[in-house]
Amino acid sequence: MNNSAPIVQRAQKRERDKFLPGTVVSFTTLSHPPARFGPRPRMVGLVELQNGRRVLAPLVMDAPYIGQTVRPRMRLSHVTHEGLRVYEVAYDEAPQVAVTEAFSRYLLAFTGPSGVGKSTITKMLAHACSDYVAKVPILTTRAPKPGDDGEYLYTTSAEFDRLKKTGKIVAMTDISFSSEDWRYGYRAADIEEIWSASKIPVVVTEMELLQGLAHHYGRRAVLSFGLLPPGKSKRARLSQLLHRLRSRGRESEAHIRDRLKNAERDLAFFGERKDLFDHMVVNEDLSALVASLKEKVPGLSGA
Amino acid sequence: MQQDIFLVGSGLTRFGEWWDKSLRDLMREAIEAALESSGLQAQDVDLIIVANMLAEVTNNQAHMAALASSLLPHHPPALRVEAACGSGALAVNTACAFLESGRAKTVLVVGVEKMTDASADAISQALMGAADSELDAPSGLTFPGIFGLIAKRYMYEFGLTREQLSIVSSVHHKHATENAFAQFRYELSPEAVSASPLVSDPLRLFDCSPISDGAAACVLSTVHRSGMRLAASQIASDTLSITQRPTIVSFPATRAAMELALCEADITRKDIHALETHDCFSIAAVINMEDLGFAKEGEGIRIYEDLHAGHAPMFVNMGGGLKACGHPVAATGIKQLIDVSKSLTRGRARYGLAHNFGGAGATCGIHVLENTHV
Repeated sequence: MNNSAPIVQRAQKRERDKFLPGTVVSFTTLSHPPARFGPRPRMVGLVELQNGRRVLAPLVMDAPYIGQTVRPRMRLSHVTHEGLRVYEVAYDEAPQVAVTEAFSRYLLAFTGPSGVGKSTITKMLAHACSDYVAKVPILTTRAPKPGDDGEYLYTTSAEFDRLKKTGKIVAMTDISFSSEDWRYGYRAADIEEIWSASKIPVVVTEMELLQGLAHHYGRRAVLSFGLLPPGKSKRARLSQLLHRLRSRGRESEAHIRDRLKNAERDLAFFGERKDLFDHMVVNEDLSALVASLKEKVPGLSGA
Repeated sequence: MQQDIFLVGSGLTRFGEWWDKSLRDLMREAIEAALESSGLQAQDVDLIIVANMLAEVTNNQAHMAALASSLLPHHPPALRVEAACGSGALAVNTACAFLESGRAKTVLVVGVEKMTDASADAISQALMGAADSELDAPSGLTFPGIFGLIAKRYMYEFGLTREQLSIVSSVHHKHATENAFAQFRYELSPEAVSASPLVSDPLRLFDCSPISDGAAACVLSTVHRSGMRLAASQIASDTLSITQRPTIVSFPATRAAMELALCEADITRKDIHALETHDCFSIAAVINMEDLGFAKEGEGIRIYEDLHAGHAPMFVNMGGGLKACGHPVAATGIKQLIDVSKSLTRGRARYGLAHNFGGAGATCGIHVLENTHV
């Protein structure tokens, strides 16, 4: 079986598209699955996702049944001969969500330099704990770009200013790249809506937005994670980021250079404003990191 | 059909595990037998169509058409076709296109597979090439797995029981006892099928066709005649992945090819007295009966219950089907056509039908053979 890096990379992208709850159409247990999955029997289900698409994926519950509602989990599938770690979406039974009466209103914030994996981690967390958390969309004045994955709401500069003046934007920042200057922010209404559904809003931020949120809602209302790329030295970390930004293939070299400069500032910011972070975590192994995040967030450890 | 095409010769190797025979040996054996039975000279062959799926993976051999051509003294032009387990029917269909157009007058069609040289895991992975490598294979699914999903869903929707399903393989094994070319020439009780090891829940070992070596060849001609005329040759396709289908308990390609074939042959289902159907897994045989229109939805098993009780509504998989005769992937579709001709001759029946599909019914080929002596 050809498991070259580009094939694995494309497969990983497709796996992320499976990250939706669904219903079991059928399932089977393979007594002798392909060798790469080890000798244990493997249960595979045909699952119809909420968006109507059907997918094949392992099921991890003990006694599935046709018609059962399931939810996705990302997990390590296997490591290829070349050492590539291959992740897969598996489906588990959906829990009965108990809504607690005294729901404390707080935000979950992820801050880190471009390329550290904020979006991926947030997406994985949002999917893995979709009954408990929801992503807050980012309002931006920049135009849509290939590679955007539903995380942005696009608006005009005039509309952005109007919302800001009327207090409907709780945190904002200007980000300049070369000759471009764009504004990004969070709308109060989006955060309130998530709270009213008894879920925890998750934001992917950078330093100014984080400070804005802490200022608006109070520092205690933000459970804040700083995300670091793997590596012991600043040089090693920046090198990791450069590699990730290039392998995303979404931006020009000039943009990547700008992002790297900003990243250097972000890494320095972690040291300067330790007070803004509750936990500093290293993004080395995605599934392990998501598991550890769930342990650190009140109410998510059982999700 | 645009021209009258006759099946003038056929040849088979015994299907099974042939450690001492290579891909070339198997192909040569079937070709020589086909030419001998046709009474033609090798030089009468204008064109060779080769059906093969796995030679690159199992035998390090691509360029199968040239290999086949090198077996004939005049090295006629040759080409290879591939549609996984449906390669055989596709090869016959391709031959028909050449014959009908007049580009060839006598075509040798040969299907061959040499599967037992590879390990079980390697062959299982190679066969998954018949499914969608992006949508199906990454989940770890194998072909028994795909049909396990289908069987589980079918049982859920129609209430088919384990005991009922076990009848299918039992019937095929009984038929194979009289087939000298079959891989397994012994009877198998439904109880033995139910007690065999689980492969992919709810399918058990004896629900699955085996890994086989073998070759099948036939000679089709518009200028040389015989009592067996091809009355229809049709293929149809469906999505490669089962994830892209609204249902997994029916194969639309079979339904489409069947309607086209009946129309082309200008007959109805009642005219069919011999059927070779693609029982790669026992559940497929049940579903095929429904898709071919011989049973209502959810009632395909009834035909096998009748066959088991000795009330045969028609000849079905008289050579033992894929389960008991063996399933050297690309040879199967051609073997089916040969077995239909045998059933028509023995049973003095007029029309017979060979139904062959690839993957989980992503390609389906149907051929109708007419015994003109009846």
